[in-house]
Amino acid sequence: MAPPIKEHAKALSNFQFALLLTLPVLLFLVVLMGYPLGYAVWLSLHDIQFVFGRMRVEYVGFGNYVAVYKSPEFWHAAWISVRFTVESVILTIAIGLGLALVMNSRVGRSRAIRTLMLLPWAVSLYGAGTMWFYLTSGQTGIVTSLSYWAGFDRPLNLMSASSVVDILALGNAWNLAPLVGFFLLANLTTIPQRLYDLAAIDCLGAWGRFIHVTLPPLRFTLFVFTSIATVLSLRLFDFIDVMSRGGPGNSSTVLPYLLYDISFKQLELGYGAAMSFYLLALIVAATLVLYFVWGRREEAR
Amino acid sequence: MRRNPTIFSYLALAVAAVWTLLPIYWMLRMAVLIPADISTYPPPLWPRHPHIGNLLNIFGFSYVTSDGLLLRAAGQSRQIISGLINSSITAVCTMIATLIIVVPLSYVFGRLEFRFKTALFMAVLFAVAVPPVSTLIPFYSLFTDLGLTGTRTGLVLITLTVTVPFVTWMLIGYFRNLPPVERLAMIDGLTRWEIFFKIMLPLARNGITVAAIISFLFSWNEYVFATTLVNGTDATTLPAAASGFLFQQPEPGHMAAAICLSMLPAALVVFFLQKHIAEMNLVDPVR
Repeated sequence: MAPPIKEHAKALSNFQFALLLTLPVLLFLVVLMGYPLGYAVWLSLHDIQFVFGRMRVEYVGFGNYVAVYKSPEFWHAAWISVRFTVESVILTIAIGLGLALVMNSRVGRSRAIRTLMLLPWAVSLYGAGTMWFYLTSGQTGIVTSLSYWAGFDRPLNLMSASSVVDILALGNAWNLAPLVGFFLLANLTTIPQRLYDLAAIDCLGAWGRFIHVTLPPLRFTLFVFTSIATVLSLRLFDFIDVMSRGGPGNSSTVLPYLLYDISFKQLELGYGAAMSFYLLALIVAATLVLYFVWGRREEAR
Repeated sequence: MRRNPTIFSYLALAVAAVWTLLPIYWMLRMAVLIPADISTYPPPLWPRHPHIGNLLNIFGFSYVTSDGLLLRAAGQSRQIISGLINSSITAVCTMIATLIIVVPLSYVFGRLEFRFKTALFMAVLFAVAVPPVSTLIPFYSLFTDLGLTGTRTGLVLITLTVTVPFVTWMLIGYFRNLPPVERLAMIDGLTRWEIFFKIMLPLARNGITVAAIISFLFSWNEYVFATTLVNGTDATTLPAAASGFLFQQPEPGHMAAAICLSMLPAALVVFFLQKHIAEMNLVDPVR
């Protein structure tokens, strides 16, 4: 009495079924990511120079890693990256939450308004960088125009060395916040009206309603998007390349930008590859910290 | 007990609208300014003599403004047009491939408990963490060996390394929240495959649509890989082609027009599919 095929298929364990569905994907990922990563590791262990267009390779062990560790430009860029990321994430989450609340309010429900709110996310990072450059630089910026009408006669440059990182973070948040807003909105729509009625009976104020009724169902999404925004901001390159080119001076040279400069302009491939692993470590560390400090608690709920 | 919209909610809406639209307006304004006004001081708040010359220029037509100024067709117009075609093809292919990969993946991670789950999941997340800048050179040499530089296939493959992990990450939470119907379906004698294809897929259609939008836009807007791998070839995408107006031959008006053009399809996608994002978590298994 051989079991029919159906019986057999039903008997697949979770693990077998999961493997069947995910193995092709994982193999694809491993091949597609594994080779470049391995190659990058190899690069980072060698000193590579271009002499008359020919590559000269010399094994240097961990020399590149030590060189990066000792380089002041690396630590400067790392600090700028961290500052940019922290500002970006806070702004993205705050603005995303604001957009979600507006879209969930009675005046914000129309299709046109919601499309409008999602629009910045449809703009490429490259387009957003260009927009924000023209919007905030001294020669072409809106602040200069407005201040001229108010009686001042001097270009006002928001992208100065002291404020360029903040402006970059603002632009990054402009681009990213709508996505966060929409995922939060999806959670908001599931809150039953009943809960708000109960809150009214309990005489909760607007703030109390927000904290006790609106916020709890959003927490897991907030965690996921805090992580996503952190990773995206730490590895952001194109937006910064278009908007500020790392400048003025090196005031907005974040790690990915410095990496690009070293690997593509100065063609120091080994040194650049070694630095990219510091960046990778930073990104992995940031997500792990977020997960263990916050995410694990949310998952357990 | 919803109260009528207050003055406050209108105010919040106005602030959100200004915040969202200001950078877009500033760029749109540049696309219709006459060349003299772009570099004037102070920068004009609105265009005094709006014209559509820039948009015609990037498609390869010359244009004469009302005061007789000739605006020449852009030299890169052919690249812009083929960029539009290439971007559309790559974005649609990336979208379909991402969906085929991501939907089973996030279903498995979101709803099943199995051995090595955390390890496998970490492997996927690790792929998110790898910055594109650090894999660019290895990818470039790999793709040169395989003959994939300057091809749309190569671009789709490399964009998948970004979309697959990200969209999976976003969808896992969604699948977790779907109602627990598998047990019931198993009691009814459905196999795992039937459960996945006949029950979970229809149930998850909002989430799948969202995954489609996200991967389409990721690919449509991809810039770093496009400029390194396909720029200047027959497979140039729109962002790569438009960057020519910024770096090779600065032409702010043309560039603004190209960016506005590239926003258009993206905005259409958003307009038709945004409802699915907002309703993503409203799942009614009876329907």
